[in-house]
Amino acid sequence: MGAPSEGRLIRAESVEAALAASASGARFLAGGTWLMRAPVRGERLSGCFVTLSGIEGMARVEAGPDRVEIGAGVTHEALAAALSGLSGLGALRAAARGAANPGVRRLATIGGNLCAVDFAASDLAPALIALGAEAACETADGPLRLPVEEFLARRAALLPGALLRSVSVPLGPARSAHARLPLRKAGDYPVAILSLAAVIEGGAVKAARVGVGSVEPVARRWPGLEAALAGAPLDPDSAAEAARARLGDFAPRDGVEAEGWYRIEVLPALVRRAAAALLAGDAG
Amino acid sequence: MTVTLRINGDLRSFATDPMRPLLDLLREDCLLTGAKSVCREGFCGACTVHLDGAPVPSCLVPVGLVGDREVTTIEGLGLAGEASDPLQQAFIAEDVVQCGMCFPGMVMSLGPFIAAHPGASAEEIRQAMTGNLCRCTGYERIVEAALTALGAPR
Amino acid sequence: MTRPAAVMDLPRRDAADKVRGRTLYTTDRVRPGVLHGAILRATVPAGVIRKLDVAPARAMPGVRAVATAADAPGMHGIGVADHPLFASDRVRYNGEPLVAVAADTEAQARAALEAILVEIELLPAVLTMEAALAPGAPIVHEGWKDYETLFEGGEREGNIAWVARVERGAVDAAFARPDARIVESVFRVGRQNQAPFEPRSALAEIRDGRVEIECSSQVPWTVRSVTARVLAIPESQVRVTVPPVGGGFGLKFDATIEPVAAVLARLTGRAVAVVNNRQEEMATCLCRENADIRIRSAIGPEGEILAREATVLMDAGAYGGEQVFLTTMTAHTLGGNYRLGAARLVTKAVYTNTPPNGAFRACNGVYNTFALERHTDEICAALGYERMEFRRRNVLGDGDLGATGQVFEGDVLGPMLARAEALRERTGSAKAKAGNRLYGRAVTVGTWFVFVGPSTSTVNLHADGSASVVTTGVEIGSGTMVQALPQIVAAELGLSPEKVAVRQADTDAGGLDMGVGGGRTTVSLGAASMAACAEVRRKLFDAAAELLQARPEELVLREGRVEVAARPGAGAPLTEVVAHAQARTGPVSGSGGFTRPGVPAMPGCAAGHFIDAIDIPVFCVHDAEVAVDPETGHVEVLSYNVVQDVGRALNPRAIRGQVQGGVVQGLGYALHEEITIDEEGRMRQVNFESYRIPLAGDAVPVALDLYEGAPSIGPLGAKGAGEVPILNVGAAIACAVADATGRKVSQLPLTPPRVLGLLRGRDPELRLDHV
Ligand SMILES: Cc1cc2nc3c(=O)[nH]c(=O)nc-3n(C[C@H](O)[C@H](O)[C@H](O)COP(=O)(O)OP(=O)(O)OC[C@H]3O[C@@H](n4cnc5c(N)ncnc54)[C@H](O)[C@@H]3O)c2cc1C
Ligand code: FES
Ligand code: FES
Repeated sequence: MGAPSEGRLIRAESVEAALAASASGARFLAGGTWLMRAPVRGERLSGCFVTLSGIEGMARVEAGPDRVEIGAGVTHEALAAALSGLSGLGALRAAARGAANPGVRRLATIGGNLCAVDFAASDLAPALIALGAEAACETADGPLRLPVEEFLARRAALLPGALLRSVSVPLGPARSAHARLPLRKAGDYPVAILSLAAVIEGGAVKAARVGVGSVEPVARRWPGLEAALAGAPLDPDSAAEAARARLGDFAPRDGVEAEGWYRIEVLPALVRRAAAALLAGDAG
Repeated sequence: MTVTLRINGDLRSFATDPMRPLLDLLREDCLLTGAKSVCREGFCGACTVHLDGAPVPSCLVPVGLVGDREVTTIEGLGLAGEASDPLQQAFIAEDVVQCGMCFPGMVMSLGPFIAAHPGASAEEIRQAMTGNLCRCTGYERIVEAALTALGAPR
Repeated sequence: MTRPAAVMDLPRRDAADKVRGRTLYTTDRVRPGVLHGAILRATVPAGVIRKLDVAPARAMPGVRAVATAADAPGMHGIGVADHPLFASDRVRYNGEPLVAVAADTEAQARAALEAILVEIELLPAVLTMEAALAPGAPIVHEGWKDYETLFEGGEREGNIAWVARVERGAVDAAFARPDARIVESVFRVGRQNQAPFEPRSALAEIRDGRVEIECSSQVPWTVRSVTARVLAIPESQVRVTVPPVGGGFGLKFDATIEPVAAVLARLTGRAVAVVNNRQEEMATCLCRENADIRIRSAIGPEGEILAREATVLMDAGAYGGEQVFLTTMTAHTLGGNYRLGAARLVTKAVYTNTPPNGAFRACNGVYNTFALERHTDEICAALGYERMEFRRRNVLGDGDLGATGQVFEGDVLGPMLARAEALRERTGSAKAKAGNRLYGRAVTVGTWFVFVGPSTSTVNLHADGSASVVTTGVEIGSGTMVQALPQIVAAELGLSPEKVAVRQADTDAGGLDMGVGGGRTTVSLGAASMAACAEVRRKLFDAAAELLQARPEELVLREGRVEVAARPGAGAPLTEVVAHAQARTGPVSGSGGFTRPGVPAMPGCAAGHFIDAIDIPVFCVHDAEVAVDPETGHVEVLSYNVVQDVGRALNPRAIRGQVQGGVVQGLGYALHEEITIDEEGRMRQVNFESYRIPLAGDAVPVALDLYEGAPSIGPLGAKGAGEVPILNVGAAIACAVADATGRKVSQLPLTPPRVLGLLRGRDPELRLDHV
């Protein structure tokens, strides 16, 4: 419908070209699975778009000795496949495999997942937070690298001037797991998500990181629970109890599918599931 | 803008908005109405087509992003004659179809899945159907027919 | 009983096209050159239209016509003509059509809508039935008294669109008995959206001066009559045809956008398509209504039900529609299932400033069965009866009275309960799968009916030995037009079903038909077709008698031949007999009609009822096992068994498909599909992201036992089998969840947040003081 519109979709071959297009008002387009639903949200899909897939390295996953570099244009499906040989990244792999549905996972990118500002239910976000990942951005003032949780918290202000180039995930001794709670068996946005990464030494948790998504408008860490888990053996039931004692740490969001109280009320169950999966090692 | 696409083997050019959903171009300009416009938000799978053989919801694919990938629709799956695909045959033989609106998408999604997973279990088939809704059948017979198409013992 | 020739697992003839994407539904027939219609809808729940200036829209590019209430002056409705096509003065719900535009493209049509200048002065709105019934509440239809009455007998008053009452026996005396133990329960259910995959769609054009509409409808004759009414033209000026329909489930029982397409076609003289997009489709969906229910029972010393009293409030939304008719059905569900000493059942359809509701597979039977079965379990819990035992002793049997005093024939529910137990023995229990979750099980019973009413069929037998059947039946996916109907005609004429072509849904070709739904298609179209075949056989045997030198009574039809019954082999091929008949008396065809036989009720006990007694009752027993996650409230259905009364199964395999589909749709209602109304009177869940219909992972394989042999006036003893599978699902799941959790389950759907809330005692117990 409508007249052919010259220049409505620009293909950027470089970061500079993408940023220049963005400066003149174009919006970044990755997999399109968020943007193309604008009409369903009552928004208009107007203006210009710039696709980033021509930029070198955008769709690459590179595993080095200490870190995995994930191009922002990597799809969920490609990410899950690329991580299958790597230990410790169970949470991220489970997040990439469990989100949405197979067709969407073939299209939706990690960049789009982290940069859809109004999207609270990202699966990758809490997993990346738990794993201590960093977001590598390009801005008019040069590159900017920051922890994923900080990127998420600041993204509304950072984007659209900034471009997410890649995500860098450290490899280390930690094991990780991901627990998501859709209202059906699968297919809908999870109402709460919890990712757990823990270094276990001598039978006790040396350090833990917990990412919580979909509960508040932006995914974040759960420092109270991280502290409570440290120093003791990882036991799913006591981890759940520790979580229950700290539900007040959240200011949960109400949504059509679930009210806030529910999102926090289910967190102990997710903690128990994540801890059990981590111990079983089946999430990797 | 002119967009050139290879659809079911034919190279065709269209003067169209590159942000238009591929689904609309197929249905409105090519009159390929096998892909259905049901939810237009990636949840139902009724619009599924293949891009280079990979099933994707065409309602979410802007035509400008298709590039040189080959588009295959349900109409392009077999030749003009009988439905030769074992999955389609099982759907017909086992009386699985009801209103039929979801079936082109079911075929497009499940076909490549069972081809790639010849040993798939019923549970794996159900998971592969997470993006394919059906309002009529209650799914179980679709799963059973997929197992038949795999030659799985029942 | 010998197996009638009509019984077989005939596969669907439309499947090959459907799986190859070749079937053209109405939405697929919008070809280039057709104009696109779009509808401007009110964005407030109640108000007075102060200004509606459409001139700017007319000036927009591509616009060919703009229609308003002036172009569609008539009113339609069921029972009461309360419903205009476009709001003219008052807006009664958020989403009500104000204006329609036809333009060259859909984008142009939608752009033109935005140019229309609308000013609506807000009025106070009633968004709930509680608000609508409160003293001094704003009246949704101020002029309700002046509306044309289309069916006599219903009480109406202000926001009460219709009241149906039943009073049989000495109810007050039973409740006053000193030995009566009284149990009272209240229930509330939300709306359910049919969500057929093909949205409502219509293509209209003017041919030879008449309006021709091709649309996605379950009742072509309703589209014909409603279009004629609102356009104020003779019905004969409207022709309706229906291609294959992509799902209906009752939503497409009413006409909504079809007359809009007709108005635009008349204004432009061109073909116009109106196709709802998913958001419009869901925002204006004629849902299964939300309802508030109160039931009281007086139980005697032997555990017998001395009397039952119930009030049901059904939310009609802004216009009466199907809810007016459906008030009738409360009596037959709440007064069904069990033997009642006396009954007083009152049902009110209530106007609110919300989108109108409609019919959905088994309609209010679904929630009335939920309420009745949960109430029955509450009786058992309060008085210490075992649930199965209580049912066994109280279910309806031969000679028992229904709510309106009709006499039920045959012991059906009792033996079906025994069959359910036997089925459970065969399938075993899935309790082990519950693990450390809460386990529950429930067996519930249900009573519903086949919605009969008029159908017509014409059968032509051709000289090549094939036949064609002409009806206004529609293939909505249930398979009747491609399975039961050709099976019946083939068996009657001694043909193979492949030789029977079925012409669908053309009001110019076929006679009056009440439509496809309510489990009626096989029964009504089947019976009409059998009558048509009888005429065909008569003509055929007359011709053959002459050819074969035999008397017509001696002849039979066997495998494409007319034979003398007593002399196998002596006869002539059908082709020869038909050719002979064509030459001598003319082509061989027959017509048949069917309507409801009218089972008697007890005079004087029902008021405001559209149906005093049910012609073909249908019973079912559902047995479900569930596991409830105590930490998240998720309910998993572990197993699901069904015993269904089908009269006679003509195509057992197809019935299994209907039962599987109906049960899973019922699971959606019981567990996932929630609709809430916001403060602006809109449904919040208007897309597939928020309206959660079950996915493959949420389904469960249904174990089914078809119960045959119950009395039925249907052809070959058949009953409709497609509607009723959804009837007891809400009931069975709710009772099983109550069993698992030990909580009073009073509301549906049982979404995880609702179940967790119940387990945690978050919400106060439901009270419905306004009922
Ligand atoms: C049916 C369905 C179910 C889903 N379920 C889930 C789920 O369960 N869990 C889950 O996590 N996700 C889920 N999603 C996916 C999620 O909602 C987003 O649609 C998706 O992650 C967006 O990715 P994309 O590549 O398609 O982004 P796009 O739609 O292309 O872009 C999204 C946003 O990000 C911006 N953007 C994209 N890339 C960059 C970049 N490199 N730098 C800066 N900005 C950028 C765009 O400008 C846009 O604003 C689901 C989606 C669908 C359709
Ligand atoms: S229409 Fe594309 S997924 Fe539903
Ligand atoms: S068969 Fe109707 S939606 Fe699947």
